[in-house]
Formats: sequence, C-alpha cells, structure tokens
Amino acid sequence: MSVAEKKIGDVLLKVENISLSFGGVKALTDISFEIREHEVLAIIGPNGAGKSSMLNCINGFYHPQQGTITYRGEKRKQMKPHEAASHGIARTFQNIALFKGMSTLDNIMTGRLLKMKAGLLASAFYKGPAEREQIVHREFCERIIDFLEIQAIRKVPVGRLPYGLQKRVELARALAAEPTLLLLDEPMAGMNLEEKQDMCRFILDVNDEFGTTICLIEHDMGVVMDISDRVVVLDYGRKIGDGIPSEVKNNQAVIDAYLGVQH
Amino acid sequence: MSETSVRPDGRDPLGRDTIPKFFAYNAQHRRDRPAMREKDLGIWQTWTWGEVDAKVRDMVGGLAAMGFRRGDKLTIIGDNRPELYWAMAATQALGGIPVPVYQDSVADEIQYVIDHAEARFAIVENQEQVDKLLSIRDRLPGLETIIYSDPRGLRHYTEPFLRSLSDLTTQGAAYNQAHPGFVEAEIAKGNGSDISIICYTSGTTGRPKGVMLSHDNVVRSANLAIAFDKLNENDQILAYLPMAWVGDNFLSYVEGAVAGFCMNCPESADTVLQDLREVGPTYFFAPPRIWENLLTTVMIRMEDASAIKRRMFLYFIALARRVGRRILEGKPVSLVDRLQYALGDLLVYGPLKNVLGVSRLRLAYTAGEAIGPDIFDFFRALGINLKQLYGQTECTVYLCMHTDTDVDPDTVGPPAPGVELKIDATTGEVLFRSPGVFVGYYKNDAATAETKTPDGWVHTGDAGVFTDTGHLRIIDRAKDVGRLTDGSLFAPKYIENKLKFFPHIKEAVAFGHGRDHVAVFINIDLAAVGSWAERNGLSYTSYADLAGRPEVYNLVKGCIEQVNRDLSSDSSMTASQVKRFLILHKELDADDGELTRTRKVRRSTITERYGTLIEALYSGQSAIAVEAKITFEDGRTGSFKANLPIAEATIYSTMRKAG
Amino acid sequence: MAFFFEVLIGGLMAGVMYSLVALGFVLIFKASGVFNFAQGAMVLFAGLFFVGFNELGVPMWLSLILTVGVMVLLAGVIERLVLRHLVNQEGIILFMATIGVSFFLDGFGQLIWGSNVRQLDVGIPTDPIFLMDGEILIQSFDLWAALVAGTLLAALVVFQKTRTGRALRAVADDHQAAQSVGIPLNVIWIIVWAIAGLVALVAGIMWGSKLGVQPAIVSLALKALPVLILGGFTSIPGAIIGGLIIGAGEKLAEVYIGPMFGGGIENWFAYVLALGFLLIRPQGLFGEKLIERV
Repeated sequence: MSVAEKKIGDVLLKVENISLSFGGVKALTDISFEIREHEVLAIIGPNGAGKSSMLNCINGFYHPQQGTITYRGEKRKQMKPHEAASHGIARTFQNIALFKGMSTLDNIMTGRLLKMKAGLLASAFYKGPAEREQIVHREFCERIIDFLEIQAIRKVPVGRLPYGLQKRVELARALAAEPTLLLLDEPMAGMNLEEKQDMCRFILDVNDEFGTTICLIEHDMGVVMDISDRVVVLDYGRKIGDGIPSEVKNNQAVIDAYLGVQH
Repeated sequence: MSETSVRPDGRDPLGRDTIPKFFAYNAQHRRDRPAMREKDLGIWQTWTWGEVDAKVRDMVGGLAAMGFRRGDKLTIIGDNRPELYWAMAATQALGGIPVPVYQDSVADEIQYVIDHAEARFAIVENQEQVDKLLSIRDRLPGLETIIYSDPRGLRHYTEPFLRSLSDLTTQGAAYNQAHPGFVEAEIAKGNGSDISIICYTSGTTGRPKGVMLSHDNVVRSANLAIAFDKLNENDQILAYLPMAWVGDNFLSYVEGAVAGFCMNCPESADTVLQDLREVGPTYFFAPPRIWENLLTTVMIRMEDASAIKRRMFLYFIALARRVGRRILEGKPVSLVDRLQYALGDLLVYGPLKNVLGVSRLRLAYTAGEAIGPDIFDFFRALGINLKQLYGQTECTVYLCMHTDTDVDPDTVGPPAPGVELKIDATTGEVLFRSPGVFVGYYKNDAATAETKTPDGWVHTGDAGVFTDTGHLRIIDRAKDVGRLTDGSLFAPKYIENKLKFFPHIKEAVAFGHGRDHVAVFINIDLAAVGSWAERNGLSYTSYADLAGRPEVYNLVKGCIEQVNRDLSSDSSMTASQVKRFLILHKELDADDGELTRTRKVRRSTITERYGTLIEALYSGQSAIAVEAKITFEDGRTGSFKANLPIAEATIYSTMRKAG
Repeated sequence: MAFFFEVLIGGLMAGVMYSLVALGFVLIFKASGVFNFAQGAMVLFAGLFFVGFNELGVPMWLSLILTVGVMVLLAGVIERLVLRHLVNQEGIILFMATIGVSFFLDGFGQLIWGSNVRQLDVGIPTDPIFLMDGEILIQSFDLWAALVAGTLLAALVVFQKTRTGRALRAVADDHQAAQSVGIPLNVIWIIVWAIAGLVALVAGIMWGSKLGVQPAIVSLALKALPVLILGGFTSIPGAIIGGLIIGAGEKLAEVYIGPMFGGGIENWFAYVLALGFLLIRPQGLFGEKLIERV
C-alpha cells in the first residue's frame, strides 16, 4: 500500500558523552546519540546493557557524572523528573508505575495535571471555571481512551486490571500530558503476541497521529525492528550500534552481543 | 396510532412497502423522537428521526454523485455504528442493495463475498477494515470505491479510490442542493419486490450463500412480529450483534424503522455489558451464550458476597424458581408466595436486574442453539419475559416464537402468525411457508431450487417434532436424524444436548440408528466430577480412574435416568430413552480428531475408533476390556488396561405430562 | 439517662480534640507514608509561638498570620534538612527522623519561649449550656471545638478535590509515577507538612485555650495514636470518628467501669480499646490495608 513518507525533523534531543556510575560500578560509558523530531527511536540491548539507566538520565531520575544532554537546543545540567515532564517529556516504566488505587480515568486525568491552569485557591473557591476546565480535560482524556480502546475499563481501579491493560493505561497517562518526547520503557514486556501487536499499532498510531517523538527501550530485538525508524544498540553500558534497523541487524558487534560472544 | 391494526398477511396498512419509506415516514411523524444512540467519548449521543433523515439524505446525495445506480451493491463492514446503518438506509433509498459482511472476517472471506455480490462500493468502519480491503483489492476489479467512517490512521493513505465518509456527505449535501426533490423521487421509485438486503450465510460446508430478502419480506415479517409482541415507538433495543447477521438487521434496523423505536449502539465490543446496564433496553435479543455469561457473573458475585447476602439470595432465588414463572405467566399463585415474591423483588430480583441492565426489559429472545433449561428458567423466574425463537436467514429471522403466557424451555413455541409449518413424514425435516420466504440465493439457482419446492415450501434442514401442546421442538439437523429398528425417530443431538446440560457431563455421543435401543458414550467433566469426588471423599489418580468408579457410574446413571423420564413424557421421543451407557476412559479431544475445533462431536471418527465399544454396548456384556495410553495428572504417561464397565439405565413407560 | 448523655456528649467533645491532632498524622502518612512522631511536638510548638507572639503585644490576627508563617517555614526547613536526604529510605528511618524532629521542636520551642504554663484566651466563650431543662450540662467551649474541627474537616475535603489534592493523592500512590507526570515531590512534601503544621496550630490553639499552653500537650497528643488505630492511618473521616469513639469511650468507661477498678482508668482505657481493635481489624475502621512501611 502506498503510504506517504513521514517527515523526520531536526534533532530534538542530543546525548553527548554520557557516563554514569553507581558507587564505582559503571552503568553507562561515553554514550552519544541523537533523537530526531517525529521519529521512533529504539534503544535495544541485552539485559543489563544500561537501557533503563539511559532513559532515567533523559527523564531526570539519574544525573550522569559526565556528559551533556541537549534538549530542544538547550543544554541542561541537572534536570529533575518533574521538570522534564513540564518540558514535554513523558514516560512509562518497565515495572508499571500507576496509581493503583485510582480508576483508569483518574490515572489518565492525573497525566493532565500539568495542563490544568486553575490553581489551588481558584479551584477551591471558584467552582465554575475549575469545573469548566475539568470538562475540557475530561474530553481530552476520553479521546485518549477512545484512541487506545480502553473504554471498557474506564471506571475500573487499575490495580484490578491485567498486566497488558495496565501497560496500556500507563501509555494513556503519558499521552494525556501531550508530550513532545515519549519515553517507553519496555512497553511490550510480558505481553502475549496479540497484545504486542496491539501495542505496536498504538505506538505507530501515536507517532503518526500526534507527531510525538518516541524513544522506546526493548529487550526483544524482533519486535522493534518493524516499528523503529532508527535503532541504538547498547551492551555493557557502551553503544555498539546506531542506524536504521536493517543496518543494525547486520552489524557484527550487535550480532555478537545478542549471541553472548565474550568481549 | 392507526398503523397498529396489522393485516393478516403483514402488508402495511399505510402502503409503505420499503424500508426507506418508513424512514421518510418517521422523519415526518416522529421528527423529534430518538432514533439512534451511540456512546462516544463516554457520552451517549442521540440522533432523532429527523436528524437521521438528514444524515441519510446527505449520503444518498453523495452516493448518487459518485454514480451509484439502482440495483448496485454496497458492502458494509464494521461494528454497529449509526453511520453504517445510515449508509444502509441510503443504499436502499437509491434502490441499491446493502451487503453487510461480518467485521471479523479475514480478507479472503471478504474477498469472496464482495466478488460474488459484485459490489461496486464498500463502506467500512476504520483502518483495520480498509487494510483488509487493500490487501485483496487487486483481486476485486469490480470494487470501485472504498468509503471509511473513522479517519484515524488513514491520513497518509493516498489511494485514489479511498474516500472519507465526511467527504462523501459534504459532497452529497451539495448534490441534493443542486437536485431538489431527488431523494424523494428515488425513494418513491422503490417497491416491495426490490431486494432489501443480501445476507451471506456461513454454511457449515462450502462457500457462503447470499440470501436475498425483499423489502416485502422484511416489512411484512416486521409488521407481524411487532403486532405479535406489541412493540412500539417507546421501545429501546441494543444493537450489538454483527450487522451482517440477519437478526441484527431485522430486530434493530427493520423493526426499529417500522415500529419507530430507538436503537442503541454500544461504545465498543468490550463494553456491551456496561452499555446494556446504562441503556436499560426494553427489547433484547441474545444467544444462549450471553444469557449464560450473565448468570455466571451473578453467581461469581454471590460467591464473593457476605454470608447474609448469599443466604438471602439463595432463599429468594429458590422461591423465584418455584413461583416466579407462574407469576410471570399470570397463573394462580398463593397469596403468601406472592407477598414473598414481592419482598424478594424489593430485596433481590430488583437490584439484581438493575445490575444486569435488564430491569426495564419487557421482551427478550434467545435463539441459535439450545439454551440450558436451568439458565432459561432462572431469568424467567426473575420476571424477565425471556422466550425462544426459531428461524433462519431464509425465512427472515423467525418461524416460531413463544407467546408471553405459554413458554416451554424445551420447545421453540408454536408457529408464528403468518407462518405455515409442516414436517416431512419420512425425514422429519421442518418445512415452512411464510411472508418471509426469501427470494432466492444470489447467483445460485441450483441451491435455491434445492431448498425451495415449486409450491413455495422451504426446507429448513432441521428435524423437528410437534409436541402435544402444539409447539415445535427442534431435535437435530435433518441429515443426522436416524431411525430405531421399530421405526421411531432417533435424534442424537437432542439426547446429547439434554445430557450435556448436566454439569457433570462434558460430552455425550448417542447411538441408535438401525438399532433397537439408544446407547451413549459419556465424557465426564473432570473439574465438576473431580470436585464432587473431593466432597464425597473419593480419591482418584487420573481421568480414567475417576471415570471407571462405580460411584461416578451411579452419578451419571442418575443424570441419564432424569433424561429418560423427561423423554418418556413425550410420545414422539419416548423410544429414544437411553438404555445402556459407558463412560469413556479418555476425554474426547480435538487434537485427536474426535471433536471439531468448535467442540462438535465427529461422529464418523468416533464410530471408527471406538467400534468395539459400540458393539459392546449392544452385545449385552457388562464390561469390555480396553487398553490405551494415558497421561496422569502429574504429567507421567502410562498404559491403561482396564475393564470398562457398561451400565444399564432405567427405562420409563410413556406418561402424560400432568396438567 | 440524662447523666449518661451528659457524659457521652462531654466525651465526644473531648474526642474532637484528639481528632484534631490525629488529622495531622493522617495527612502526612497518607501523602508520604511517614509516621510523623513529631505531630504532638508541632502542636506545642505552634501553640507556643502563637501565645508567645500574643504576649509580646502582637495583636491576635497578626500572631495568627505570623505563626502560620512559622509553620510553613518549619515545613520547608524539615523538607530541606531532613526529608530530602532520606528519600527512598526505609519507613523506620524516617520514623526515627521524626522522633528527632519531635525532641528538637519540643526543646527549641521551650528554649525560645520558656517552659512555664501560659494561659491562652482567644475569646472562645466558656459558659456552660444547659439542655433538656437543665438536666444536661455541656461546655460551650466544647461546642466551639466541634465547630472548628468540622470547618477544618470540610476545608480538607474540599482541598482533596483540587489540583493540588489530586497531586497529593498521586504522590501517596506512587512516587515515581507522580514525578513522571510532572509533580515535584519536594513541593508536595512542603505542602503536606505545612498543612499538617496548620492543623497543629489549630489544635495548639484549642488545647492551649483549654489547658493552657504547656509541655504536657505533647504527651496528651499521643492520645491520637489509639484514635489512628481505630480510624485507620489513611482516612480523614476515620481520624474524626476514631477521635469521637475514643473520647466518648474513655469518659463513659471512667464513669461506668472505672469504679470497679477504683477509678483512674481514663488514662489508659483508650489504649486498651485500640489494642482490642487491632486484633479484630488491624487496618482500622476506614483504613486501606495497612501499609507495611510503618
């Protein structure tokens, strides 16, 4: 089928010579790569390659000892996670971090917190505007619910949902923030084939419909090859590959890393 | 309203002979009444008949602008969405024929239907369906235009023959503006003998056949059914079964248009049960599977409920099972029971119905396959007017329906108004003549001639008997029905179904054709019998071990004798009582070819594989030696060598049903 | 019968005072899973500052504003100096930290303002009110206390619905997720501790008006513990109802059961009640399943 080529833009985020260590144990060594606007970039690598650490650096959970991260042309020193969020970086977690006691809808609404204008006092005393604002946000959340096809679980406390659906709710919450850059930490881990296919479709649709730049981590190489525009490969905290999927697939270092060849 | 007086042949007293004429009538006389609803972004959206009319007109114009001609076919693929029903109405208004296709069909199946129906246009719900069509597009030279309703994900599709529905309606509005009176004129051109829809039926064998139903078929059938069940414009129905199924087309779309009531489209396929609760329909159709699911949800909830609640529930359900049906059917019930039932309604039945979304239900049907009498009784006991219906695509949905006051879970009711039935004396097959008799199979005269006799009778393919109360009872597929040596009817599936309604019995295979009595193989349900064994302190090592226990034989014997008693009450069935049975030492398995993937028994395979066992059933011996490989619960395999007991069950003499 | 009601009402009103302290505990525990041992000391600390400003000749309204300022500042300091460095530590470590804070506040307050009992009169009437033809006597002060507690509760409930309240719930549920949707953890902690400080101030004023501002308030505030056990550690309504039950229970017990033991059971009855309750329903009346961090 003929699908118009999508436009990949300028560099959105640039990672330069990042090194991170925990008490002498090196997690990341001298990593550099770029994320371009509107692309789907996958960071892959065997277990313990430092993929999650990389994501945590971008999102501000970790602060690398060396190197710089340039986001939208601005070098940032030490950014906290909530600052990253307010700059349009949303993310999901490998082990699902949802507000388990809240319903699906409330979880997604929480994702809109940053977008809510009515301040503490205003929302406490002037019900009118705050309520009107709620309606606008609710509508936005409903669009996401529709988009991710989770209407049936709108009112269900997320703690009661099966794993695959929790992952989807987490994605919904991240989308509610209308992110510029979406970080997905193993979005397909622990899913069955059908759920994986659904998730792939959602990721591509998000990228396509909202133009969201997506950086995802995946352990399983096969899944990402089809949906990524570019792939960065990490192994033992070092970058061993970077390029379009077909290149990376044939890169000897990558093949060795996946086959477990000793360094 | 004047139209409530129905003529015995079902023709419309106001002369409306096509569905578009009913849409036009409703737009005029029910302009501000709700016609359709759909839950979108969490909120129920409503369209009145007036608004629906405007939408349909736009589509009529749009299709006309694209060169849609009378008699053209338009295929519809998607979930129940108002836009798709509008497209159906627009097609019919232009004298075209909608051909709905099951939304979960794979590309090849869709390709066959579109190709066979020679559809020039397709209107589909979303990207998923568009992708399917694109994948088969080069094999469908006749398909000119694909229209999609939901543009999501389709932005970058550049195929020239892809159009969005909103685009089409905009164009249509302009077209209508330029051609005043066009829509009215097109509608007026239609007449009752035009084809209203082609429904492809997925036959068990061979390619699907396109059943052509005329506007006369659907309008007359609808008029009769609406009068029969006193449906009116205040009713509400949930349109959730596939649009490609004749039942949804007839119950939601046709009856909705004819009676002027409102159809409600669920938010998504997953939310049907929640939407049911929110809509609270007055008129509802569901296959037995859904009623069973509803009952299971109730039972699971009760397991988790507090002891007091559970006791209250059990008490009042027992009461309801005793007197509920009689109250519903207006039969005499003692005052004390009536008062208790009223209390039960307040404490249990009312809240329960509310949770299920059936509290406003005044008419409910089930059909398609046999429903467990237990499930059927449960809902009637709660005061829900659940009835059975029997029919098929070829007769425009129904042939038999229970009346409100004469309901028997074991039958499908007496012939419906306007329907003539007869049973072929030699084959036991049911034949019918009715206003709903289909026009023919599209482009398949051979099949049409095979099904329709020259004098207008249609073969159903089902074998049935009339009960002493004048109800029809469907017993099996006609080709599976056999005869015992004394010449009486033997319907294996009927007996097997009766046995399978017992929770302890998972599968049953009945034999009797050309024999002097009926005998069965039984598969016990390991979970149900296993827990029964546990409760009774019976230990076992494997399925085969459990199946061979005399206690289990007694348990099964009890079930069989209950079925025998049941069969003995019916003169035509009493000869089919089960005389001898054995419990198979292994579970019938689809992997071994003994069952189909949909868990239907493969009779030929079983006859071949277990021939010696069948002979043993008819030889009078009390056991037979078998040897087989078995798998223990812990995964070890071993060889199983045993004497499989063969047991006898009591046969009852014919007796008349009391009362 | 009238006597019974008089005791009951008196008990309920005393219970309201416990609830005021318990509320502060609940707020912090809900938002951060920290059991704030220092809540009692905060009550005294707030009371001392308020009465201290008063005695310096600062008008009542200004003292109130100043003390609010002090409590918010205190929240900020606690966050900056203590909590920030203990993020992601075990609950028990944080609990110990609050014990430290408690002793510090206790000592520091008295260092500044001295340790003698100070009378506090904020103009709450103390005349007795008679009901049912004079059969039942209740203190108008108690009614005022109930009114204040009610207002506070209402304000807190409204607060929960606000954007900040939603953020608070999110933080309580999952720190990591809350941060990733843009909720600044530190700010939330300051807000929570500041609110707990304000609740402490209200409690300090009420207790101070009744008993005088004195160090004994700290140990009295520990009565909030059985209230929490009863009501659940995470429930605001639980804190109120728990307080009422404890208050009424201990007064009634003192009057009706006390004589059997020769009196004086008021001081420990609440704890026995709570202990008994723990055995039956460890998560409290309204609590969610007890969080393992305490």
